[in-house]
Amino acid sequence: MASFISYLERRADHLLELALAHATVVALALLVAAVLGIGVGVAVRAHERSAEAALAVAGTFLTVPSYALIGLLVPALGLGYAPTIVALAMYALLPILRNTLAGLRSVDPAVVECARGLGMGDRERLLRVELPLAWPVILAGLRVATVLIVGIAAIAAAVNGPGLGEDIFVGLARIGSASALNYVLGGMLGVVVLAILFDAAYAGLARITTSRGIRG
Amino acid sequence: MALLRRLALPLIVSGVGLVLAVWVGTQELDSIEQRQLNGATLLEKIVEHLELAAAASVVVVVLAVSLGIVLTRPGTRRLAPAVIAVANVGQATPSIGFLVVGAIVAGIGFDRVLLALVAYSALPVLRNTMVGLQQVDRSLIEAARGLGMSPTATLLRVELPLSVPVILAGVRTALVVNVGTATLATFVDGGGLGDTINSGIRLGRDTVLVTGAVLTAMMALLLDWVARGAEDLLRPRGL
Repeated sequence: MASFISYLERRADHLLELALAHATVVALALLVAAVLGIGVGVAVRAHERSAEAALAVAGTFLTVPSYALIGLLVPALGLGYAPTIVALAMYALLPILRNTLAGLRSVDPAVVECARGLGMGDRERLLRVELPLAWPVILAGLRVATVLIVGIAAIAAAVNGPGLGEDIFVGLARIGSASALNYVLGGMLGVVVLAILFDAAYAGLARITTSRGIRG
Repeated sequence: MALLRRLALPLIVSGVGLVLAVWVGTQELDSIEQRQLNGATLLEKIVEHLELAAAASVVVVVLAVSLGIVLTRPGTRRLAPAVIAVANVGQATPSIGFLVVGAIVAGIGFDRVLLALVAYSALPVLRNTMVGLQQVDRSLIEAARGLGMSPTATLLRVELPLSVPVILAGVRTALVVNVGTATLATFVDGGGLGDTINSGIRLGRDTVLVTGAVLTAMMALLLDWVARGAEDLLRPRGL
């Protein structure tokens, strides 16, 4: 235990660097997944069958093992950042899409009717009434997606990708030496701390971005 | 129509398998690729992978369901929120970390990999079981007790049957998680289709890499499909 703590002190700078790269990859993947998930959710919200098909496809992505999915992307995208970000975005899609649909459907039809009565067009109604009301649910989906992909991102190191997975693989390579466990635990701890920080950030984000009228 | 929808996944997966077979068949394979991509080797990897995932899932389900029952009894119920909180954090812990820690602490090989798989997938299944048992309507339990059923009879004849859908969903989760984690067993000499993917990446042979990855994906999707079918079949009537 004492040796682990002194290890963490010695390696702090490097761990911070890896954590930053890890967070960057996760954030980029979330951005892609959010644009796609919310976009597709908005597009298919009124068509029951397209919505079901979109959910089925996103669910299929989530079933494919991470190493297989990243591996499949390597011939097309090479090693490193690109396959990692695309694979993570594919995993993040289901929770975001599912919650976008659920959120939009939970909007009271009377409110939408009311907006129409006020003379709002389709676009304005979506942007100023439906999405703001659905936002807390969509944000919850983003949060679930984040916890999910922060952990998966550790696999990226297997394809020379960035992030805290690197130290887990360094530990693997050093099995037999005394420092191996420190490396692995340091990497794992970093991932968990990152997940907790992301989660806390969401709590703050929910507070700031929720429309004042529906803030609890 | 309903039947067609139900069979859509296996049909698509078989189609993908066929395309893969034709594609690999038309490639000019060098000796390295031939060593990886012959029927016997691939079958061995598939069997290893299935054995790992199935064994881990069986152990996890038995363990997690019994632990879930124990932790939702009146005396121990206070522990439940803490266990669920730990399970939520555990979800963010990378699976590869579990495998490597397992390898460092216990050594490598099938049994040790199995241990790591169990440790990693136990939490989500435990969480599912506990949530399932907790959401059984309290008034139904009261009613059963009022009818003169003992606590054990209430558990066996009311609570568990009503929790079956949630527990089965846990089984399915365990299976999907374990097939995924078993792909990483290759890093700690545990075998499985991860070997094929890994060789493809290390040796720079895309044919090997794609074959391993597609076979892994096909296996995961088919197992999930079978588990979903089992969920529908085993759900108690009346639910």
